[in-house]
Amino acid sequence: MAEIYHALPTWAQDVLVMLGLLTPLMVVGVIVLRGFHVRPLLVGLLRRQVWISAVFTALIAVSVALGTGLIAQERGLRQGTARAADKFDLIIAAPGSEITAMLAAVYLQPSDLPLLDGATYAEIAQHPRVSLVAPLGFGDSWRDAPVVGTTAGFVDHLSEGLAAGRLFMTEDEAIAGARVSLDIGDSFAPAHGVGDTAEHGAHGDFAYRVVGKMPMTGSPWDRALLVPIESVWSVHGLANGHGPDWDGKIGPPFSPAHFPGTPAALVRAESLGATYSLQAEFSTARTMAFFPGSVLARLHALMGDIRQVMSVLAVITQVLVTAGVLAGLMMLTRLLARRLALLRALGAPRRFVFALTWSYAATLILTGAAIGLVLGIAASLGIGAAITARTDIVVSATLGWPEIHLVAGFVSLTGMLALLPAYLTMTRPLITDLRG
Amino acid sequence: MIGHAQKLEVSNLRVTGDGGRRLLSVDRLEIRAGSAVVVRGPSGAGKSTFLYALAGMIAPETGQICWGDTDIAPLPEAARAAFRCRNMGFVFQEHLVFEELSAAENAAIAALYSGRALRGKIRDRAATELVRLGLGGVGTRRSDTFSGGERQRIAVARALAGDPGIILADEPTASLDRDNADRLAEDLVTLARTEGRTLIAVSHDPALHDRADRIIDIVDGRLLEGADG
Repeated sequence: MAEIYHALPTWAQDVLVMLGLLTPLMVVGVIVLRGFHVRPLLVGLLRRQVWISAVFTALIAVSVALGTGLIAQERGLRQGTARAADKFDLIIAAPGSEITAMLAAVYLQPSDLPLLDGATYAEIAQHPRVSLVAPLGFGDSWRDAPVVGTTAGFVDHLSEGLAAGRLFMTEDEAIAGARVSLDIGDSFAPAHGVGDTAEHGAHGDFAYRVVGKMPMTGSPWDRALLVPIESVWSVHGLANGHGPDWDGKIGPPFSPAHFPGTPAALVRAESLGATYSLQAEFSTARTMAFFPGSVLARLHALMGDIRQVMSVLAVITQVLVTAGVLAGLMMLTRLLARRLALLRALGAPRRFVFALTWSYAATLILTGAAIGLVLGIAASLGIGAAITARTDIVVSATLGWPEIHLVAGFVSLTGMLALLPAYLTMTRPLITDLRG
Repeated sequence: MIGHAQKLEVSNLRVTGDGGRRLLSVDRLEIRAGSAVVVRGPSGAGKSTFLYALAGMIAPETGQICWGDTDIAPLPEAARAAFRCRNMGFVFQEHLVFEELSAAENAAIAALYSGRALRGKIRDRAATELVRLGLGGVGTRRSDTFSGGERQRIAVARALAGDPGIILADEPTASLDRDNADRLAEDLVTLARTEGRTLIAVSHDPALHDRADRIIDIVDGRLLEGADG
């Protein structure tokens, strides 16, 4: 049986899990409603108690939205951050915090990092198994766009081909990320620093001219300006990475003696095995080499733990809300007791009263869960858009099977719990209720 | 087809309330099949308890309540409800109908919990009874748009829709004005009598007393007239 299940495509497994979760509810529904036609009275009941029904449904919807929104959001964030780190195989930086270095190098978050010196950089660059190495220099900005010094090779690697224009060839040329409000031919003057503390005019009259545009990457690099690393060093009054015999052509090789330092270097190796080998080789007292994907996986694991805790809290919230709704239903059925007693007095079996009460509760639960699912995804999309606007990491929260499974389980469980108020209704004293 | 009008035989019936208080005590009573009987008495005398016991809504402490060959007293509640559904129509005092349903849906309410084979018959019969009671053509109107008298006629149509042999009514005219009360009393007795149904109505209304075949008085839970009249 397990072999057949595992041989199925993933979507079929998900459908089976959903059906499995819904089976108890469906079985109960068939048994409870068998032989009865409750719809007219059910619709009448919903009409008669329209506001109470709406409040109960809204409570269930909000609790379901919390759970589904949380899961969808966490998954969207995980996928978005992983996608943004795709192009960063290996980062080598001076020893320190891997997370800080990753946030700076991959997600362009401002941070103070110690520098790799020229000799170390040269050692990396000259390693026979390295196919690409690029320095990454941070600290300048234009408006809210970070200005990052690097090499044309890195731009090419990151963008996989520009959307428009060409790579930079001189120190005063720049490539704009897809979401930067500069077009080819526009000029800008870099400010020293980022955000509110940026010093405008700190680099004199120096200005860059945009010569190329990157395509959308779904990462913070979409709002970055990429410039030659030489110009970043130069405008800060440092050597530009090349010796006296420099022919004026920007980019590698750099002279170790004239290399001012870089906070981080992106490294690509000729193969996956070589990447692991480089990571081991440059994890030393002088250098820290790490895979952003691994650091991210650790962060995701932490997020996953938090998600599990929050998921449990969300489920508890759902159960509490549902318990409240069911308690409310019990009170409501007391208000309806005379009408239900009338049915029994007319000869309706107790089971019919049970079926009517249960189907009323099940209708509220199903409607609330469906609305909650939609609300959860909508809220998640909204939050995802806000995160994207703030971090430029594209977080796309969509409806996934985990949310559907959560809702299916919730609906099934609460549908079973709804048997309790239905049972209590069925056992109420007929004559007392009939006399009101 | 009209449901089977059944003779009622009650013997040694005892119904007690909370704390063992005796609510009803009937040594012997017989009611002929197809007769129209009114039960009367002061408030709290046990008239409604008597009616509910005959309907099987109250399980007596002791005694027999035989409708034809069926003694419903010892039956479990589900069986009594089933008997009630098959054989009895009930009309209550306060024109109890489901306001959010239409007149036709109310009259055919038994179709919702009856077997599939009976549903169509109950709906057809409900529509016929509504016409006979002067509510033809307004069956699709919501019941809360009808007057009190009209709602009580819907309740009568509901009681007749299952084609029962027994009609039980608890103060059916009490909440109506004189004109409506007279009309309902006439309708109820006529519809029962012309179709051979047994009618037992608890009522203070002279309009019903005048039309009844027999009147039974209850005082302090005891019948003052118990012989078959």
